[in-house]
Parts: sequence; C-alpha cells; structure tokens
Amino acid sequence: MNPTFTSDQQQIEQFLTALRANLGPIALPERGEILREIEAHIHDSMELTGQSASAVIAKLGSPQQLAADYRDGALVRAASYSFSPMLLLRATLRIATKGLSGFIVFLFALIGYLTGISFLITAFLKPFFPDHTGVFAAHHRIYDIGILFPIPAPPIHEVAGFWFIPASLAVASAILILTTVVIRQFLRLSTTVQQKLDGYHPAFPTPQPSSPSR
Amino acid sequence: MAIKRSPGPPADQPDRWEAQLRKGALEMATLASLWRGRLYGLEIIRFLEAQSRLVLAEGTIYPILSRLKDEALLTSEWVEADAGHPRKYYALTNDGRDRLRLMAAAWVDFSSGLDQLIQPILQPEEVLQ
Repeated sequence: MNPTFTSDQQQIEQFLTALRANLGPIALPERGEILREIEAHIHDSMELTGQSASAVIAKLGSPQQLAADYRDGALVRAASYSFSPMLLLRATLRIATKGLSGFIVFLFALIGYLTGISFLITAFLKPFFPDHTGVFAAHHRIYDIGILFPIPAPPIHEVAGFWFIPASLAVASAILILTTVVIRQFLRLSTTVQQKLDGYHPAFPTPQPSSPSR
Repeated sequence: MAIKRSPGPPADQPDRWEAQLRKGALEMATLASLWRGRLYGLEIIRFLEAQSRLVLAEGTIYPILSRLKDEALLTSEWVEADAGHPRKYYALTNDGRDRLRLMAAAWVDFSSGLDQLIQPILQPEEVLQ
C-alpha cells in the first residue's frame, strides 16, 4: 500500500473523528451530513490543489472551532423552537457570554424560571404545611407570600386558605409561559446574536500593522 | 474635577474589528456567490477567494451554509460527480434572492455613507496642517 495514501487517509479520519466527537447536541442525521460534506471538501480540495491532506485540513481550521460554529447555530435554532427550560437556559447561557443583551436575557430567564418554580413548590407544600404556606396579611395589607417558619405573630395570618394552591399554580404557569415566550422570541428575532455566534476565525492571523520608523 | 481618560483600546482591537467586519460581510458574500447558479462548498470558497479578499478559515463557510439553508434562503442537493463521491450543491431560493437584493441595497447605502465620512481621514496629512 502506498504509505502517503495511508497517512493522508489517517489524517482525514483523525480530523473527522475529532469533528464528530465535538458535534454533540446536533441531531444524528444532520451530523452524518456534516461529516459527509466536510470529507467531500477535503478530497476535492486535495485533488484540485494537489496538496496533502494535512495542508488541506489546516486550511479548514480546527475541528473544535468548526464543530463549535455548527453547534452554536444549531443550539440557538433548536432552542428557539423548544419549550424545554434546560435547552432555553443553555442557549441563553451561551449568548450571555457574548454581550450585554445576552447577559440580561440570561438573567431574565434565570429569575423567571426560579420564580415560577418557587410558586410551584409553595403550591406543592401547602397541603403539608397549611399554616406555614400561603398569603400572610394583616389589616388588609399583604405581609408576605410563600413559606414562613416560624408562623408570623398575630395579627398577621394566612388569608388564602386552600385557594392558595390553584392560585399559586396559575401564577407559576403564567410566569413560566411568559419567560419561555420571551426567550424564544429573543432567540428567534435576534439575528445579530446569531451572527455573533458564528464566530469568525481567520485561517491566517492578520499581520500586525508595522509601526512607522522613528 | 479632572476626568480620567480611559486607556486606549487593547492591542488586538483593530484585528478583532476587522474580523467582525469580514464575518458580517461573509453571509452576504456567500449568498452572492450563488447568484448565477448552484455551486458546492469548495466552489463557493474558491469563488470568494477570487472575487473578494475575505480570507477565511475554509471551514467557516460550511456552518454558514447550514444556517442559511435552515433559514430557507438556500436549498441543497447531493449530486454524483466524476470525483467518485457526491458533492453537496447549494442554490438560492426565491426568499434567498429577495434577501440578497435587500442586503446588497443596504450594503451600498451603508458603505457610500461611510466612504464620505472617512474620506478626510485618508487624505495626505499635510492638508490637515
């Protein structure tokens, strides 16, 4: 067997393996298509330029960076059509590292989900700690909402009774739905964010401008 | 009270700015390369190298193609070739053509405005003194 061929083939395999390993969350059929296209690129480029596999692969950039470019696009795209809090949080977390607007949306997502979940938890705990959980008020003014240990001293008392459970569930749903809708809209509409996520990376570092001689 | 001057931009600032600029243009350039007909990835890269100075890591183009396809601006099709393996050809959709027209118009608008703005900066320095 021709040793050059083997070595070229090995390098291509290595690159594709590294790429495959980093494509993580992308759906399997799409992953196969990406690998097929990149492999075709490497073979075509070698044929066209007569260069070795390593030279052609070097021009592609690192497999990690290439996979990250695919992943970022795919994650934000998938999340913008998803209702999964985990996926939405992961997409906003990724955007959070890229700029102020992303960071604000990430905080909004975090606070929204946490508030929604707290209401769910209080609704769930009401049957177990009826006196400790609910809306606490005195003289027609709300003192606190939630779970209180110890029970506040009179005249503050719990006023909602077991109506607290449906009310709390309704508030929780409203907050969770609102949070989800806002994040999805942000992910979908914000094309600038998508562009930022594409992560341009020049093949050759731009030379530093030479300073004028003094 | 004296206002403390903020330090100058970090040393890598001009490079990063230029990279952002090229990256922003790359999406339009990719669509534009398909204006006359379908091409596969390597042809798009060669076309961009020949027609513009958008030097890029060749890999960069593929995630962009994938995203443009998801946005329904492009279609793709595997075509058998003499090379022994099929190639993935991309073509503009009608939406893609419309988007590209809008992008081209916006680009001309944007760059002609900026050209006027920066013209004095590029003039020889003695004129300023």
